[in-house]
Amino acid sequence: MTSPAPAASPILVLDRVRKAFAGHTAVDDLSLAVPAGVIYGLLGPNGAGKTTTIRMIMDIIQPDAGSVRLFGAPAGGRSNAERIGYLPEERGLYRKMRVLDVLVFLGEMKGMERRRARQRAGEWLERLGLAQWRMRRIDELSKGMQQKVQFISTILHEPALVVLDEAFAGLDPVNAQVMKDTVLELRARGATILFSTHIMEQAEKLCEHVCIIARGRKLVDGPLGDIKRTRGGHHLVVGFDGSVGAAARVFADASLVQKVDDYGQYAEVELAPGADPQRVLRDLVASGARLARFELREPSLLKIFIDLVGPEAAQAGVRPDA
Amino acid sequence: MRKIWAIVRREFVERVRTRWFWVGALLGPMLFGVVFFLSGQLGRGGGLKRIAVVDATATQVGARIAEQLGRSGNWATEVPAAPGAIDSLTAQVRAKRLDGFLIVTDAALDSGKVEYRGANVFAGKGALQRPVGEALTVVRLQRAGVDPRLVARASIPLRLETCKISRATTCGESAAQSFSLAYFMGIILYTAILLYGINVMSSVLEEKTTRIVEVLVSSLRPFQLLLGKVIGVGAVSIFQFLIWGVAGRLLLARRAPLAAGEAADELFQMPHVTGATFAVFMAYFLGGFFLYSAMFAAVGAMSSTEQEARQAQQPVAWMLVLSFISMFAMLNDPGSTLAVTLSLIPFSSPVAMPVRWAAGNLPASELALSLAILVAGIVAVTWIAARIYRVGILMTGKRPNLKELVRWVRSA
Repeated sequence: MTSPAPAASPILVLDRVRKAFAGHTAVDDLSLAVPAGVIYGLLGPNGAGKTTTIRMIMDIIQPDAGSVRLFGAPAGGRSNAERIGYLPEERGLYRKMRVLDVLVFLGEMKGMERRRARQRAGEWLERLGLAQWRMRRIDELSKGMQQKVQFISTILHEPALVVLDEAFAGLDPVNAQVMKDTVLELRARGATILFSTHIMEQAEKLCEHVCIIARGRKLVDGPLGDIKRTRGGHHLVVGFDGSVGAAARVFADASLVQKVDDYGQYAEVELAPGADPQRVLRDLVASGARLARFELREPSLLKIFIDLVGPEAAQAGVRPDA
Repeated sequence: MRKIWAIVRREFVERVRTRWFWVGALLGPMLFGVVFFLSGQLGRGGGLKRIAVVDATATQVGARIAEQLGRSGNWATEVPAAPGAIDSLTAQVRAKRLDGFLIVTDAALDSGKVEYRGANVFAGKGALQRPVGEALTVVRLQRAGVDPRLVARASIPLRLETCKISRATTCGESAAQSFSLAYFMGIILYTAILLYGINVMSSVLEEKTTRIVEVLVSSLRPFQLLLGKVIGVGAVSIFQFLIWGVAGRLLLARRAPLAAGEAADELFQMPHVTGATFAVFMAYFLGGFFLYSAMFAAVGAMSSTEQEARQAQQPVAWMLVLSFISMFAMLNDPGSTLAVTLSLIPFSSPVAMPVRWAAGNLPASELALSLAILVAGIVAVTWIAARIYRVGILMTGKRPNLKELVRWVRSA
């Protein structure tokens, strides 16, 4: 995956967008730009304002201030419904309707013609193994199958921009895999994917661009590689093979090591500014430690996230604005 | 526009596909049929057919009554030989060989006291009161020496023919006809507006609780969604009426064999539904339906669960129930101040006005005024309801209080 040049015109631009609900500000002067053709992660702890931001992009609620531009024009999601697929965080379908009817109806909502919607829905159901369920009612389907149906409804009209709010939350592992494969396939076909999550491991695997927000404010955004380079400093992963020797003394040397996560047989080390990793290696060997692994690497997105947001907020369950 | 149409079609198709729609479509005409049948039965005196007359008089008055009853053709009567037959007659009634018997004593002529003993005394009283009374009168007159021919002429029974004077026609329909028309129109309007209004409410609630509404509202405006929904549900109700109308016509055409009697004919004559009456009915049905379904939609949008919605819809439903209850008072006096007031207030006029129209002569100016107020009411109520709807469908958590509702209306 190569990141497109920053000059490529962004498909979605938020300019100092603000939204306050009774008593608190959910989104505070948020600006971001999503380049065309990338997988863009909107990351943040629960309650950070991700869903509110997405709802403003989708025209479901109106910002108090600021503007939303989609496909180069100042407009929200509604007037571009034909080109956007949206999967809300909380899922649901008409329980009493037949699978195929739901898909055709939601396709029509996205401006598709009935016949084409029917044909495409048939193809997707076939592909995701639901072909024999097309005439069954939604409430006869398992939860996993309902998730698949809802995912099909999001991408049925081949949108240029796919917005997935907490896309992988609540998916079983098989469906998560299906979803991931489909997202990658959509991107390969040229679609842009904006997805929000609070699970950094997922974002790290999929996203080329990220924007991390907390308490409604942007903390950092840009290509993931750039963020890792500028935010991370140098990281070492050290694995021991039985004997740790006097490694603790080496890690305590402030001229070499700024911070260490020591797990006994494994340690993550953040080097002090200007320190030479090769010296750490020499000192460790000299200290009598037996090394199984010595790896110089970029920090994980999770680490950057926790550093930025703070450990409490990163796992906080507080959601003032559901 | 195409998206609104898709909403309309979904609401219509999904409802017409349900079992409940067809149960309602068939049950309605069946109920009418049962009403015809029962009224026919009651009109014939509940099937009272075989009665005996015990003549305990010295003057053969009992026998004369039996003769009179027999002449009217509806009764099979017999006069047992001895007054001591009461016990055996009672046994016959218990064995269901006899419906009942009259005991006529000498007191009958002076005080009018006649005793009836039977299995169904209620039906007996209703059915016998008049013919026995008439028979007694005839006997009294004859005993007073009045010429039998004169008695016969004097006792020709009354046939009161009624004739309603309306604007366009004289003698358009009978009292029975216009009463039953007004009555049925009131019932149907009330039931349909309530039923389909609540349908709109549960549809709103379903989309809200399943969160489909987020996807919908990102594709079309909340007002368009609401409009499509109301039109779709309204179309279902009109389709329902169509089925009832066709079935009702068929039933009425075959009412004679069903009710098996002229009595049913008198009670439930085919009301003469003119084009104007039909237009008034449809105008007020549509007006009432739009008005109430907007309110029901707002109730659905501000609730989060079925139970909450059921509670919150009560004030709305009560407005309709009140106008339905007052229909009975209006039928008695369609020109009363109460009736006129109710037919002008937009919340009650959808039931009140068509009832008054069917029951009595109505000035065109009053109709026009009522319609104009109704339309204004729909615009105002829909404006408020749409705003509550727009905010409510995205809200979760506790139901808003009145103050919060006002804020919703202002903010939206």
